[in-house]
Amino acid sequence: MNKVGTVIAFTMRNKVRSKSFLITTLVLVLLVVVGGNVPYLINKLGGGDKASDVGYVSGSNPEIVQQLQALYAQQEKQQGHPDVNLQVSADEGQLKQMVEDKTLDGYITLQDNPATGFPDVTYHSKNALGSGTSSSLQTMLQQVKTNLLVKDAGLSEEQIRSLLTPVELKNEQVTLGDGSGKTAEEQGTAIGLTYVVVILLFMGVMISGQLIATEITAEKSSRVMEIIVTSVSPLAQMFGKVIGTFVIAILQIAVIVGALVANLNLPHNAEALQGFGIRLDSIDPAMIVIAVVFFLTGFFLYAMLFAAVGSIVSRTEDLGQAVMPITMLTLVGFYVAMFGLTHPDSPLIVVCSYIPFFSPFLMVLRVGLSDPAWWEIALSIGILLASTLLLGWLSAKIYRTGVLMYGKRPSVKELVKAMKAYKV
Amino acid sequence: MNPLKVESVVKQYGEKTAVNRLSFEVAEGEIYGLLGANGAGKTTTMRMVLGLILPDEGDIRYFGNPYSKEQLSMLGYLPEERGMYPKIKVSDQILYLAQLRGMPRKNAEANLRRWLDKFEVPEYYDKKVEELSKGNQQKIQFIAAVIHEPKIVIMDEAFSGLDPVNVEMLKKTVKELRDGGTSFVFSTHRMEHVEELCRNITIMHKSNPVLQGAIRDIKKKFPQERVLLSADEPIQGLESVPGVTSVVRHEHGWELKVREPEAAQAVLRHALAQGPVRRFELMEPTLNEIFIKTVGERHE
Repeated sequence: MNKVGTVIAFTMRNKVRSKSFLITTLVLVLLVVVGGNVPYLINKLGGGDKASDVGYVSGSNPEIVQQLQALYAQQEKQQGHPDVNLQVSADEGQLKQMVEDKTLDGYITLQDNPATGFPDVTYHSKNALGSGTSSSLQTMLQQVKTNLLVKDAGLSEEQIRSLLTPVELKNEQVTLGDGSGKTAEEQGTAIGLTYVVVILLFMGVMISGQLIATEITAEKSSRVMEIIVTSVSPLAQMFGKVIGTFVIAILQIAVIVGALVANLNLPHNAEALQGFGIRLDSIDPAMIVIAVVFFLTGFFLYAMLFAAVGSIVSRTEDLGQAVMPITMLTLVGFYVAMFGLTHPDSPLIVVCSYIPFFSPFLMVLRVGLSDPAWWEIALSIGILLASTLLLGWLSAKIYRTGVLMYGKRPSVKELVKAMKAYKV
Repeated sequence: MNPLKVESVVKQYGEKTAVNRLSFEVAEGEIYGLLGANGAGKTTTMRMVLGLILPDEGDIRYFGNPYSKEQLSMLGYLPEERGMYPKIKVSDQILYLAQLRGMPRKNAEANLRRWLDKFEVPEYYDKKVEELSKGNQQKIQFIAAVIHEPKIVIMDEAFSGLDPVNVEMLKKTVKELRDGGTSFVFSTHRMEHVEELCRNITIMHKSNPVLQGAIRDIKKKFPQERVLLSADEPIQGLESVPGVTSVVRHEHGWELKVREPEAAQAVLRHALAQGPVRRFELMEPTLNEIFIKTVGERHE
């Protein structure tokens, strides 16, 4: 146990001291700080607060233009500014020139259409694809049309208002328990949190796994391994290395998450986040606990696989190819989880949430976005724990054998034969 | 109780036998030579002694006890393929290795400083290994093997890759440790080192121990058949002395091969009859000759 501690300390000291580690952490923190402020920046810089200037030719369909102006004036009263400022001009040529000069964002032309009884409207602007302005115009024109038609139908004010009021549709999740499901706000938060957890696990596993495998192969190829395995049992060395790297990864993640949370909690950001439907205080603590359990077990499952693979490769050049299968496994887990963000109840996700290599990604996702029964979670954790122990034992055996084998990468048959010969 | 006793160990890798019924004992303060051509089974033997692999049959005892994890701290190992962490400071890795073998960091630090002073390179304490020359890396490697004051040191190809000055220095150090009671198991291809350092040896050939015992006794078993002769005046007719098989003329004398020691006396009488003899010596066979004879004979 004492020696495991020595290996852990050595692994950590060398990692923390390395320049690459410090620089990576710093860059990630910087990215997170910028990223955490993006919602606020979008709000501040985005076009949302600014009215676009839209021109029209004087004299064409005056009734419609007048109604449109009235609706935008009403909008100005409600939200402080209209989406569109309508400006009149004598002819289309002049409007075109104004768009060219950037005094206008665009202009509309109306073309009578006897078939519908309402003119076809064209919005001309520099950026042809659906801008916010054209969708705003669409909504308003629709309303103008409704108003015009309803006025002719002779309905009362009351009826008109009732007709125009949109249907209320709220989302609420169904749960068996105490009855109150997650509100839309909680769900938004859950999606965000699940996304973060899945990405953290993916990055944690990929970065630390590669690191563990590389270090072990490097020890082997520099032949330090021969001295180390004669000083300490290979098991102690492997676990020391895995745990040491794990602590470092956790430290790194803690610094990054800390930076993220600190930034999100700044007053201006909390408001912006609320605008997106994310509230940090609505995070379910049970979700955090489950996420941590799955993160830990998943991390060790993958880390030990990486260690085993690192031990059978003799040269760093061969490592990339050798870890490919594990990398693929994490990638599959990650992409299935990305798909699951929108379909948390699909059979694929449910089945995969029991498969040990994917369950760390997918059970967390199901807990966050759907509502699995407690036994489902327990079963998934059970399977994951059992396979982590099994693979840990197997990895230790492979490691014990692999560190003494040099030359070309051994086949499975050769490995089993060597295991028998070395009596491990 | 001898520090190390290997009793008829057998190791098989699948169909192939790597070590076949090897036994030897190393006394306290003894350097034991394990000789053999490449692939003879030396490294496998050393790995078994180090507990890296277990023998299929036979027994290895350390001060009378069977192998256990605790014994790792009294074993030191200088592997054939040298290796250190290239990007880590000398002090960091040596102290790490010493700690892994159960020595407290403080003691290890004092030991390391003493060793670096002894090798006259105290400034390496804070250097990275990749900054050192190959020969100096070897010194550090040697320190790594003995930093924790082991009772038994296993040295595979002990002095390879060193210049003559450093070989002398390491040999001197090994002798000092030997006189302090440390036991060594030592393999090399340099027979003159074995003759200088070892009391007992085993020559292995194709997994089998083919020649074992004290170097002195082994040499007695091999006929003395080389004669060195020098005289002031040229001596004629050496070829015609009965029992002489070959004569080679050197700058300052002759080297003769004789069939049996008695023939050497005849050679001396023949020479004295022609004039004064400055030097006459019936040479012991060198270990090199014995090795080549033993291993080479069985090659056919």
